[in-house]
Amino acid sequence: MASTTQPVEKRSIASRIGMVLLYIALGIVAVFQIYPLIWLFIFSLKTNTEVFGNSPFALPEDPRWENYVRAWTDGNIDMYFFNSVWITAVSVIATVLLASFATFAITRMNWKLSKPVLGLFMIGLMVPIHSAIIPLFSFYNDMGLINHPLSLIITYTAFNLPITIMILLGFYITLPREIEEAAVMDGASIHRMFFQITLPMTSPVIATTAIINMIYNWNEFVFVNTFISSDKWKTLTVGINNFVGQYLTDWGAIGATLIISIVPILIAFLILSDRIVEGIAAGSVKG
Amino acid sequence: MKKVMSNKLVIALYVLPALFLITAVIYGPMILTGYYGLMDWTGIGEMTFIGLDNYKELIVDARFWDSAWHSLLLAIFSTLSLAVYLTISLILAGNIKGSNLLRKIYLIPMLMSSVAIAQLWIKIYDPNNGMLNSVLKMFGVENPPAWLADPKYVLAAIIIAILWQYAGFYIIIYYAALKGVPTELEEAAKIDGATPLQIAYKIKVPLIAGVIKVTIVLAIVGSLKYFDLIYVMTGGGPNGSSEVIASYMYKKAFDTYQFGYGSAVAFFLLIITLVVTWITRKFTADDEEVQY
Amino acid sequence: MQKKWSRRLMMMLAVGLIFILAACGGDDSETEGNESTSGDNESGSADEVVIDFMHLWPEGSSKQHYEIVNEIIAEYEEANEGVTIQTEILGNEQYKEKIRVLSTSNELPDVGMTWAAGYLVPYVDGNMFAPLDDVIEGPLADQFVSGTTEAFALDGTTYGLPLELNITPLYYNKRIFDENGVEVPTTYEELKTAIQTLADNGVTPITLGNKDKWTGSMWYMYLADRIGGPEVLNNAIDRSGSFEDPALIEAAAEIQELVDMGAFVNGYNGLGNDEAKGYFLNEQAAMYLMATWDLPEFTTNEDNPQEFRDSVEYMKFPTVEGGEGDENSFVGGPGVGLFVAEDSDVKDEAKDFVAFFVEKWGEQSVEKAGVIPATKVDTETLDLPEMYIDVLNDLNEATNLTLYADVQMSAAVADVHLDMIQALFGNAVTPEEFAENQENALAEEAGE
Repeated sequence: MASTTQPVEKRSIASRIGMVLLYIALGIVAVFQIYPLIWLFIFSLKTNTEVFGNSPFALPEDPRWENYVRAWTDGNIDMYFFNSVWITAVSVIATVLLASFATFAITRMNWKLSKPVLGLFMIGLMVPIHSAIIPLFSFYNDMGLINHPLSLIITYTAFNLPITIMILLGFYITLPREIEEAAVMDGASIHRMFFQITLPMTSPVIATTAIINMIYNWNEFVFVNTFISSDKWKTLTVGINNFVGQYLTDWGAIGATLIISIVPILIAFLILSDRIVEGIAAGSVKG
Repeated sequence: MKKVMSNKLVIALYVLPALFLITAVIYGPMILTGYYGLMDWTGIGEMTFIGLDNYKELIVDARFWDSAWHSLLLAIFSTLSLAVYLTISLILAGNIKGSNLLRKIYLIPMLMSSVAIAQLWIKIYDPNNGMLNSVLKMFGVENPPAWLADPKYVLAAIIIAILWQYAGFYIIIYYAALKGVPTELEEAAKIDGATPLQIAYKIKVPLIAGVIKVTIVLAIVGSLKYFDLIYVMTGGGPNGSSEVIASYMYKKAFDTYQFGYGSAVAFFLLIITLVVTWITRKFTADDEEVQY
Repeated sequence: MQKKWSRRLMMMLAVGLIFILAACGGDDSETEGNESTSGDNESGSADEVVIDFMHLWPEGSSKQHYEIVNEIIAEYEEANEGVTIQTEILGNEQYKEKIRVLSTSNELPDVGMTWAAGYLVPYVDGNMFAPLDDVIEGPLADQFVSGTTEAFALDGTTYGLPLELNITPLYYNKRIFDENGVEVPTTYEELKTAIQTLADNGVTPITLGNKDKWTGSMWYMYLADRIGGPEVLNNAIDRSGSFEDPALIEAAAEIQELVDMGAFVNGYNGLGNDEAKGYFLNEQAAMYLMATWDLPEFTTNEDNPQEFRDSVEYMKFPTVEGGEGDENSFVGGPGVGLFVAEDSDVKDEAKDFVAFFVEKWGEQSVEKAGVIPATKVDTETLDLPEMYIDVLNDLNEATNLTLYADVQMSAAVADVHLDMIQALFGNAVTPEEFAENQENALAEEAGE
């Protein structure tokens, strides 16, 4: 008895020290990761002079809450807010759904062209947006979609499809096929199999890609700036633009705009982030 | 089974919408870019066909090759850094206390727009008032470098900022993949007396190899076309020492009105990316067949 | 079973479609909205005209500019029944990028903003901008300060109406000068002595954001002017001279001497102009060379402490002993101007509007927004801070105004110039290489 417990105890002391060190390391990394948010918040309460002066660690002498008021009123944020939410939401849903369809067909179904088609999606990953923007503008212009939110939804969906498909692909090829095969044996249709088995099983990665898509769309500004000209359809990221002047930029108000625009996405992220884990649980219950 | 999974109609229904979108929105412009690359064109008014002249110029453009080298360095370091992200994800996905909270904190920077991140790193690297140099001076370094002004350090400084910016992106992918690893295997290994480290690298990592390969491709492709922070933080300078292909392309196509030449750079970037990706996939291909 | 699932699929597609239709519907209602408003007015006047106007003074960063623009528009719309001015406002960089994209598809707004000289070239070559000589000779005759519209002219035709006029003084912090026993220099030698004293005392003599490159170009331009006279750089650019002129090489050598003296803030080649200005605003640097568009920072901007604003003064760039240039020769020139699109459906109305705009802008911009307009200003009737009066007087006495080199040059050559400036300041090229590279770029473009 004694001879077996001793090494275990020794190991547990060693592993306890290891754990403490691990937590210290993790804690330091955590500080590095959360500090930017705190920094941005402090930044948002500063005047230009303070933003560029002294130590960036320094607190503002007299916190300028009016930066938030200015961001909200002069920056037209109230108007852009709703656009950001629905355009992001629609694009994310469209991307994840279309990408899931495509990935399912590529990895699960048998057809000769699956590899070349996958190649097409992969090459789509490689096009930098700035080389596409001028052709895209004339394309939407011909279609009458300039200054129309559909131009954004189509662009966001298309540009995020390759990366979404790639990430989904990494998961699909590791997922066991037995469950799906069993379902087919039971006579389930392919659509039923996709919606009732594959989608729930991949919900962790769906949550992951949804988060990634959401962040991309939410923060995107090149396309909005180019395709949209009326305030009615602009999104939050161009609100920042309202504080960039010809010679003078109001950094405090930009900071405030950035903080305001990070709040909804932070909330959405926290909710979706839990889905990554919950999804697994749901999937394994089914399994 | 076979028959159900080979239904052409279903395949078309599932693949065509996505394929149609990327054809219109990505391949259309891509082909046009190739076409513009054969032109002498400011981007405004008439264009003149000049054949491969832009590419001939490109081959001897030292500035372009410098920027290509910088992009390649970024791709190499991005790929290497995946190991770090994977390690962090392995720790977070292990059932240690507080991993749920830590994971959320670790992903926060990913939510910030590049405008915010660029400002943050500009403040970190400011030569006199910056956070980094304040800390270095505290530790007695007398003349810490002016990070973004010094051609020797600027690329390294920017690469670090970019790696940090993308940490959350890869961690979240790895984390989700690791959470998908069936727990039965892990428990079986534990009973056999495997250490957490062994479980991590002998069981978990091989199981998510498919995901790792995808992230390698994403890291390489993403790095080669990377633009955001560099454009804001240094504009490619000083003296081109932090220029990358995408920033060089932007400069030519938008700032100096050499739209034809800029398009040629963009098209060449695509070719480089294709070649590099193809080589990497050759290197990582062998066990992929097993996975399928 | 299969039917049920296909139905669900159809449902999802339908939902998607509804979204799309909703979005389309939204846009339709917008255009309908416009039509209906114009429909309402139709009873009043025969023709309805909408002029699209893009500018770069957003409410957030340029409140006074923004308000003046809106007042002018309201005034114009009232005086011209049936005309609606529709604005789109973007920040500086986004504005440039958008104009770039719009011009490629020939979709420029009816009226917009342009920069002078080199910036105009591709737009004029591509037939995008309408000639505005009739406006300058007609309704705006004798309104502009002489020399300002010329910056917007190519081959004798003017394509832009300037809205701003700036010169570039050397601002300094009197308090820092006094504390270090430095006198305000009147010659370049004295300036160097002052720099040396400040540097020896551990004070940053000059702040410079040379990541942006045009900032360093101003220093170089002044030295070229003071050493070789006002024509030497212009001649090199318009090809009546050469960039390898000894005076231009000497000016480059002077820059490197300043660099070696430690004249510029640590890390200047990595600092943007905003960050560099921060050092001056926070009294961490004694001098700052910048155009008069920054005057509000040192006079009226309440964000900056009163003590700081009181201690800021400016000097004319000192003369170099034995040099050709005199003190009243300035680097500067008009900033943005208005263009009218050649393809505009409402070109005549747009021209009428820009003429009205320039006149009204000139009456209000200095007093309300602190922008010195390119039209003549009557200082007697205006209530202005002291520094503005001084600058306006200097402008009147100016013997020469050299337009910023990067504005004079075409975009491609300007790129070489700006890169060379950064390299020069970074000691990465010799003065000879600096001149040679630019000479080659200019010669190549001229087809020599």
